[in-house]
Amino acid sequence: MKGLRKVLTPFAPDQSGASGVLYSMGALIVIIDAGGCTGNVCGFDEPRWHESRSAVFSAGLRDMDAILGRDELLASKIKSACDRIDTSFVAVIGTPVPATIGTDYKALKKLIESKIDIPVLPVITNGMKLYNEGEKQAYKALIDEFASDTPAYRDRIVIGMTPLTYGRYHEDLTLDDIRNIRGAGELIAASSSGIDACEYLGKDFKIVSPLYKDNIPEGIKGRTLVCHDEVVGKTIRDAGVDCDIATFFKLHDIAKQDGDKKITEEDEFIDLVRNGGYDTIAADICLRELVPDFEGRWVDLKCFAISGRL
Amino acid sequence: MKREAICYTAGELAERGKNNIPDELLSGNNLVYSSPATLAYNSPGAEGFGVKRAGLSVPESVMLIVAPGCCGRNTSLISSMPEYKNRFFYLEMTEPDLVTGRHLNKIPEAVKEILTFLKEGGKSIPRVVMICITCVDALLGTDMDRVCRKAEDFLAGSAFAGVKVRPCYMYALTREGRRPPMVHVRQTIYSLLEPMGKDARSVNIIGGFAPLENTELKTYLELAGIRNIRQISTCGTYEEFLKMASANFNLVIDPEARAAAEDMNKRLNIPYIELTRVYSTDKIRSQYKALASVTGIDIDDTFEKAEADEAVARLKDAYPDLVLNVGECTNANAFELSLSLLRMGFKVDEIYAVAAPENFVYVKNIAALSPDTKIYCNMEPTMLYYKISQSKASITVGKDAKFYCPDIPNVSWNQDTRPFGYQGVRDLMNKICEALKEAEA
Repeated sequence: MKGLRKVLTPFAPDQSGASGVLYSMGALIVIIDAGGCTGNVCGFDEPRWHESRSAVFSAGLRDMDAILGRDELLASKIKSACDRIDTSFVAVIGTPVPATIGTDYKALKKLIESKIDIPVLPVITNGMKLYNEGEKQAYKALIDEFASDTPAYRDRIVIGMTPLTYGRYHEDLTLDDIRNIRGAGELIAASSSGIDACEYLGKDFKIVSPLYKDNIPEGIKGRTLVCHDEVVGKTIRDAGVDCDIATFFKLHDIAKQDGDKKITEEDEFIDLVRNGGYDTIAADICLRELVPDFEGRWVDLKCFAISGRL
Repeated sequence: MKREAICYTAGELAERGKNNIPDELLSGNNLVYSSPATLAYNSPGAEGFGVKRAGLSVPESVMLIVAPGCCGRNTSLISSMPEYKNRFFYLEMTEPDLVTGRHLNKIPEAVKEILTFLKEGGKSIPRVVMICITCVDALLGTDMDRVCRKAEDFLAGSAFAGVKVRPCYMYALTREGRRPPMVHVRQTIYSLLEPMGKDARSVNIIGGFAPLENTELKTYLELAGIRNIRQISTCGTYEEFLKMASANFNLVIDPEARAAAEDMNKRLNIPYIELTRVYSTDKIRSQYKALASVTGIDIDDTFEKAEADEAVARLKDAYPDLVLNVGECTNANAFELSLSLLRMGFKVDEIYAVAAPENFVYVKNIAALSPDTKIYCNMEPTMLYYKISQSKASITVGKDAKFYCPDIPNVSWNQDTRPFGYQGVRDLMNKICEALKEAEA
């Protein structure tokens, strides 16, 4: 059945992706939820939360807040927090609750900005899409709000190297990076959301994973299926590996070749492995449970967004 | 801007009174800071026995989580535990589902597909399928009882006829409502019991999802001739679980099980007695006396009380000037525990907990003994600025307290198994002593 998972647990959702992009930027991040979504973000999808404190808050919605659409109360809570916490901007991240009650994010932005003197960035996520979509939405919101025409900035900016794709090998962007992103000498898209952000900027960019460039994971031999983010797969292919890319996330035409596939269901992955004639599967080891009968070589290509393993 | 965590002393709070608790210390008035305690408190699936693990405490059950992907994400943490292998399944909601509600029509077929998958994989057929739904369906007003009945009807006549399908509501939105998720899930679990003949020598202990630790309570019941002391976590099979319906009475050890106990009283004619976990040995004695009087059993607690009091005395002898910080992410009410520690002669510098009106009786007594004890609210946004350097504690109790004071020795005391009575006092004192000695070594 479509949408039924019998083996795998759900992958990182869009709200985790949005939060992951904003985590390092000094924002006051408000997840518009009752508490469960924030629990998922901080307690599971944000490895940095265990190491450094960041201003990630739950809106603490209760049933009547949602039923009556108490945006005024939410805005007051945010104002009260801004009065007591140093921050350069506020990000409000959507979840299934505002999606269900049809929250008007533009109006919410206006309402909150009428009470505080710093920018408010709504990130329209709903918990039903995957993390790369949330990252993309966050990058777009940041670019819209902060990116200006700077003549020259750093030689190179890598976009999309977040913990959800790269685990402990993530590379954080600062708010200054976003402000000056148009002035970067070179833009690198390190993941699917990086491609989206670069395309949105409308500047030339390279698609390459800095982690896997000239660094083919040990053990890959023969015909290979790489199941990870599309940029990871492309980088491994560009390094000379004979491989197809399968991804549960987005597959852009710009990265796609014949044989590559965007997959959604568990059964699609099983079919690919069983019928693809691959010698090696390079994918998070948790996917192996789907194909216990695969007799080829398995290279554990960790993906935090899939398994939550660093 | 002060950049410091807001707190009030117990003296200040007592002076303001129960009806004038500062906004900053109450939940619902502010954004919620993400500390370990708030993740556990505010998120019904995040920590310990949330709704998901609780629902699966029924032996021979599996769970189908019908929700947006985000709601099931952290289940990976639980799924990796061996006892939950092949017990969690997901039906992911999409945006069209949200608009049309069509995900509900898919549930009966999804249940059958899961059962078929388990059967074909050589696994035993579960007796119960719990359907876990989340905030979205709370807002959509889904009638899950009807959906579950429909799923049971769909199974009728198939190889899976008789498998029960029950709803589990993981509604974080109703955390402070009349029937919070952890109350509701207990009602759901015990609603599976069916009337049966009574056994005068059977008692249930309800409230927890993991067994009580090796507490004297069970010994007292056994000495009184009780042959079967059942807890859901010790029922190895569904049949054994069903025998809980034969109990003479229920002992309720968590107030969140009170509604389930009321239901069992009405439906199965099982009366209940509520016991509270406290850390004052005098209060524990009073409670056991009350239990003895209500049930007509003899309880001689002389030895156990002396043992607990000795553990307190040993810690006091070794560390006469001990100062503690106490959190709420622990197997205790942080205020009651703090008051008990003060009455034992220790000092409590800081408490991290929601000063809800029901805790005010403790706050008043704490203020009388230690007016300068500082009370922080785990949920309050300025906890972001909490500075460990302000604390005078030599040890902390609670997982949240460790988060705030990572360099001070800690006893997390939030294990799944539940400490209770004199055993709880004795073991906590011993753990504190061990942690301090270990830090000295």
